[in-house]
Amino acid sequence: MTEPKVVAGVGVPPPPEILLDVRNLKTHFHVMDGTVPAVDGISFSLPRGETLGIVGESGSGKSVTALTIMRLLDIPPAEIVEGEIWFDGKEILSMPIDRMRRIRGNDMAMIFQEPLTSLNPVFTVGDQIAEQVETHRKVRRKEAWDRAIQSLKLVGIPSPERRVKQYPHEMSGGMRQRVMIAMALSCEPKLLIADEPTTALDVTIQAQILELLKEIQDRTDSALLLITHDLGVVAEMVENVVVMYAGQIVEEGSVDQVLMTPRAPYTMGLLASIPNVHKRGDRLSVIKGVVPSPFNLPPACRFEPRCPYAWDLCRREPPELVAAGGRGQRARCLLHTPAGESRRRDLLEAVETLVDVPAQQEAAAEAAGA
Amino acid sequence: MSKYVIRRVVQAIPVLFGITIVVYLILLLAPGGPTARFANNPRVTSEDREAFKKAWGLDQPPLIQYCRWMGLCNPDKGGNVLGVLPPPDAFIGNTGWPQFLPTPISGGTNGVLHGDFGVSIETGEDVGARIGRAALPTFILVGLAFIIWVFIALVIGVNAALRRYSIFDQAATVFAYVGYAMPTFWLGIMLIFTFGGPGLNILPVSGMTNTRASPPFGSDAYWTYFGDHTINALLDIGRHLILPVFTLVVVNIAGDSRFIRASMLEALGQDYVRTAKAKGLPGRVVTFKHALRNALLPVVTNIGLEIPFLFTGAIVTETIFSWPGIGSLTIGATRAFDYPTLMGVLLITSFLVVLANLLADIVYAFVDPRIKY
Repeated sequence: MTEPKVVAGVGVPPPPEILLDVRNLKTHFHVMDGTVPAVDGISFSLPRGETLGIVGESGSGKSVTALTIMRLLDIPPAEIVEGEIWFDGKEILSMPIDRMRRIRGNDMAMIFQEPLTSLNPVFTVGDQIAEQVETHRKVRRKEAWDRAIQSLKLVGIPSPERRVKQYPHEMSGGMRQRVMIAMALSCEPKLLIADEPTTALDVTIQAQILELLKEIQDRTDSALLLITHDLGVVAEMVENVVVMYAGQIVEEGSVDQVLMTPRAPYTMGLLASIPNVHKRGDRLSVIKGVVPSPFNLPPACRFEPRCPYAWDLCRREPPELVAAGGRGQRARCLLHTPAGESRRRDLLEAVETLVDVPAQQEAAAEAAGA
Repeated sequence: MSKYVIRRVVQAIPVLFGITIVVYLILLLAPGGPTARFANNPRVTSEDREAFKKAWGLDQPPLIQYCRWMGLCNPDKGGNVLGVLPPPDAFIGNTGWPQFLPTPISGGTNGVLHGDFGVSIETGEDVGARIGRAALPTFILVGLAFIIWVFIALVIGVNAALRRYSIFDQAATVFAYVGYAMPTFWLGIMLIFTFGGPGLNILPVSGMTNTRASPPFGSDAYWTYFGDHTINALLDIGRHLILPVFTLVVVNIAGDSRFIRASMLEALGQDYVRTAKAKGLPGRVVTFKHALRNALLPVVTNIGLEIPFLFTGAIVTETIFSWPGIGSLTIGATRAFDYPTLMGVLLITSFLVVLANLLADIVYAFVDPRIKY
């Protein structure tokens, strides 16, 4: 192996098996009332052909992360303050926009949340797919059009020869999202970014679209970056997951680790707030308080005001993402640092485990009822 | 589609009928009346006035007057006569206009429904002929100005949206506000002072042709002259067009360029523009195919609704530059209490507004695939 080549102004490229490597990315928005650190120093990597989920509630910075990777944010008001994004061996944030344009839609494609508004109402779906193929593959119109029909067939649209001539408004919501997926796949991208691909669809269609995405991800060797607020979707779709809160990663690990044995109090709260049919009639469990204002973030731990386990150190010491629990699992919480060791032991004594919060609450509820 | 057009045309009939009533009522309720022109004339006695009223049928009750103006009935022949269906050629009237009510039904060939707008009280001419003569100069003036201002407004509006808050955009905004706020008559007079006789004296400031060099515009002698000296005649009209066209363009660019800018900005902020960028399309395709096409949809309607303006003309501009068009005709008719001419202009204008609306809706269906009729 040769020495990794250092690109001017940026760091060392990741190993070739890593398709996407985001390093200490900070995307801030300069607005009238001040600066919003929408994405505040996140790092993650996605190997070729693998799947990664980014989970968080509204305003946690997950969509901004995706748009930063695609370089689709308007600068200003957005500013990429710091960080590197390596894609397919190249740093893309320092790339001239024209070279980036050739990557977009070709090597890296994106599926948006709202298929109705994301498709242009005045052009046929065939035209909208074909123009992308024409741009990147330099093929004739006819060939691009055939490719569009193939793509529609690939995403399971019946009679694609007829559908290709239709306008978006002539299709149902699920059909439109299939068109968006067909469009994204039309140039066989290495990375597919899906930003809440099923949020705007009704539940039965959601399942179909997820099934389709999974099937396509299995069949092609593209990597999938799935952005969602839905933990159920994450559980079904991805191998690894990153949990974001207030612009930071608060926990990362494999799906099993994060969903079964969460280590960050925020993830625990998030899991506890999933409605459960067995607890019908109980009040829904919620994380107390509200997401902090981006203009006025807590000085140290950003989850501290809402955290049931916080203690005085949490208001002074900003937590780092540290190893917690199983292999590769990391959490942004002082409980998992040496400084939090004694606090952790106290809590473990008080409650049997930090892990099974829902069961804990259930037990508490039963005890109260008895 | 054709079903829709037919439906809209049929729907337009009661609208047009309502318009005739409104036009008639407005002028009936207006103070003065056709005899007001004699108010300060000591030689016209009240008997003369009554005789004038009787001669023009103004002594009849309003309903009969309306009925006669419309050509629905002819009281001189004993009211509304219902006859048998007439032969097809009865549907073309004496004036060559289509005759919507065949003679036997209305009992006469006079009236709006027979394409006859009556006789001008001021000049005794046929109103239809007067309007027809004034329409061409207006069409030339406003048509030329319209093409220029729509084109410039598009260029300014789209560029201002693409470079929002740039120096260009700020300058366009200032220009729009100034243009919007500037009264037409003030701009016209300033132009006359600057380029006309009182100032540089390099451009004609009044009329459509040089009356010393050629016969009056529109007369048969003029068209003979036009045939012999086509280039000179065109150059002459061109020179006369410069100031009034400039006035109209400056004043109208303001509103339209702002409208186009707003429409373009809205389109640029849509999700499908982001999708187009995400597909890796070149910037100009994103802007001119995906954004502009959508931005133009409301503009088409807006511009379609400006079409009647081509006929009604610019009353103030035409008056200032003594342009022999519909605007001047309207002002003249108003001053002379020439009710038949005024009603004719109002009616044709209303008709064109209805037509332009219909046209805008039909064109919209062609440019926006979401609209299905």
